[in-house]
Amino acid sequence: MATHRLTNPLSDMFWRRPRVLLALLLAPPLLWLGVVYIGSLAALLLQSFFSIDEFSGLINYEFTLKTYGELLRPANYDIVLRTTLMAAAVTVASAVIAFPIAFYAARYAKGRMKAFFYLAVMLPLWSSYLVKVYAWKLILAKEGILTWAVDGIGASAALNALLSLPVIGGNSLSVSYIGTFLVFLYVWLPYMILPLQASLERVPANLLEASDDLGASRGQTLRHVILPLAMPGMIAGSIFTFSLTLGDYIIPQIVGSSRNFIGQAVYAHQGTAGNIPLAAAFAVVPIVIMGVYLWMAKRKGAFDAL
Amino acid sequence: MSFAVEFDRVARHFGQVRAVDDVSLQIAEGSFFAMLGPSGSGKTTCLRLISGFERPTAGQVRIFGDRADTLPPNRRPVNTVFQDYALFPHLSVRDNVAYGLMVRGQNKASRRDAAENMLTLVKLDGYGDRKPAQLSGGQRQRVALARALVNKPKVLLLDEPLGALDLKLREAMQDELKALQKSLGITFVFVTHDQGEALSMADTVAVFNDGKIVQLGTPEDIYQRPRTRFVADFVGSANVLPPEFCSSLDLARSWASLRAEAISLTAPGRGQVDGTLTGTRYLGAVNRLSVRVGKTELSADIPAHAPVPAPGATVGLTWDARALHRMEEG
Repeated sequence: MATHRLTNPLSDMFWRRPRVLLALLLAPPLLWLGVVYIGSLAALLLQSFFSIDEFSGLINYEFTLKTYGELLRPANYDIVLRTTLMAAAVTVASAVIAFPIAFYAARYAKGRMKAFFYLAVMLPLWSSYLVKVYAWKLILAKEGILTWAVDGIGASAALNALLSLPVIGGNSLSVSYIGTFLVFLYVWLPYMILPLQASLERVPANLLEASDDLGASRGQTLRHVILPLAMPGMIAGSIFTFSLTLGDYIIPQIVGSSRNFIGQAVYAHQGTAGNIPLAAAFAVVPIVIMGVYLWMAKRKGAFDAL
Repeated sequence: MSFAVEFDRVARHFGQVRAVDDVSLQIAEGSFFAMLGPSGSGKTTCLRLISGFERPTAGQVRIFGDRADTLPPNRRPVNTVFQDYALFPHLSVRDNVAYGLMVRGQNKASRRDAAENMLTLVKLDGYGDRKPAQLSGGQRQRVALARALVNKPKVLLLDEPLGALDLKLREAMQDELKALQKSLGITFVFVTHDQGEALSMADTVAVFNDGKIVQLGTPEDIYQRPRTRFVADFVGSANVLPPEFCSSLDLARSWASLRAEAISLTAPGRGQVDGTLTGTRYLGAVNRLSVRVGKTELSADIPAHAPVPAPGATVGLTWDARALHRMEEG
């Protein structure tokens, strides 16, 4: 009787022990994640517990919270506060602007309109970030197109009133916090629209009909059905906009008043100042803020609809 | 007399498609009304014309005498049990049920009580804190029912309410729905493609085809006296006999229906027709014989204890002349 070789010892073994296969498949990405990603993060965390010797400028490898104490010095604390407020403002504004766009795309856009939507949202992501930021610097400059356009429609008084606001105003939009805010908003908006649109698309249409049928007005349906169900998408989007703003060091350097943001502080301390521990401590701040933010979002029930 | 729901020459066209084509109908207050038909026959569109999710292209919809087709869904005195229930996944069962009261501004304590009472009515007391995802299909169905009924609608609309349930649960829910409708006295209008469901639950059945009502009547009417060939085919209870068959019996030429249980077996030459036995199916209480008469295949139900002739045998078929029911071509 002829015997056919129907078996393959290796695949048989994998069938009998599926966990071996799983481990083999997962090992490379886990190694990458563990060593490169978590490892570097751990190294960063470790650095932040060292301190710098103020006289020699050398790193003192003894565990201390002294560097974190430095963060509380007014100059540093202002940087943290400024960055967090900016990130929060950008996040809220992104959500407000993104919602109607995402809602339209999820509920009404079909066929070509939908393709146009994706293209319009993604297109800015395809060009260089630096090019976009410099373009905005020109747009917002005192001699720029925006000032010209505002003049053209006779609204320069409004622009001047805006620029004369304390703190957020300035000589021109390109050297004010308002300018920084606008550029952040522009650059990170797609990261809010896309997850929001995905989550709105998953809201079944019959839930909206059910709400309508039960007597809810459109506003009530929005508040009690659509927003809670879109919340995971909005949180996902806000994680992007919030953390990207927290960590960015290029936009505030090119557009805005010359006051520092966390990213710039990290850049300055690890570079010219050579204060790696303080740079590390600054870098830990966004991580902590994001952790607190997500914890609060979870407690508020933002993920209940998942 | 005022009707719960009235359609006055209502049409709903989607482009070239006439989903509902010049339908007039009256649904009596307190009745259990079924809209029966295959998919695409216009029954669901009719339901949505009552709930307000569709607006008529022509004609008027009235609810308790008041013009309704100009009102948005949230201002109509009707509530819907949706096909796949459409429960809000982020809300607890209690909040789902209380939703209609909440959007009307009823205070928290009283709407909570009302929701709990309604959950008791549908036998789900104690489930208020769960999320819809933690319930079985049958339980979700009850929540959907409670969520609609808590608003005390004048008319309850049910869109294929039992379609997603398994057979046994479906039968139990049929009885419960019927009992609930009786005790509440609310007009129920439900859409189904399951003729058994329509016939067993409804007081009045409208059979839809191609956007029109082809027959409106009691379940008995529909079952015993299908008006057209389509109704007989769709309700599926009877042999549908072509005009040639009637001609061969020396009757006026027309389509006719003859229920399987009305036919009995006799010796060849002794009945109205002779035929050849082509098959037998045992259905428990009866044996369903397939008998070929000329070009027509007839089903005849004979008691399970009666002897069954061998396949291929020639048999005589007989029936009471009144059992042969004439129909339109339709």
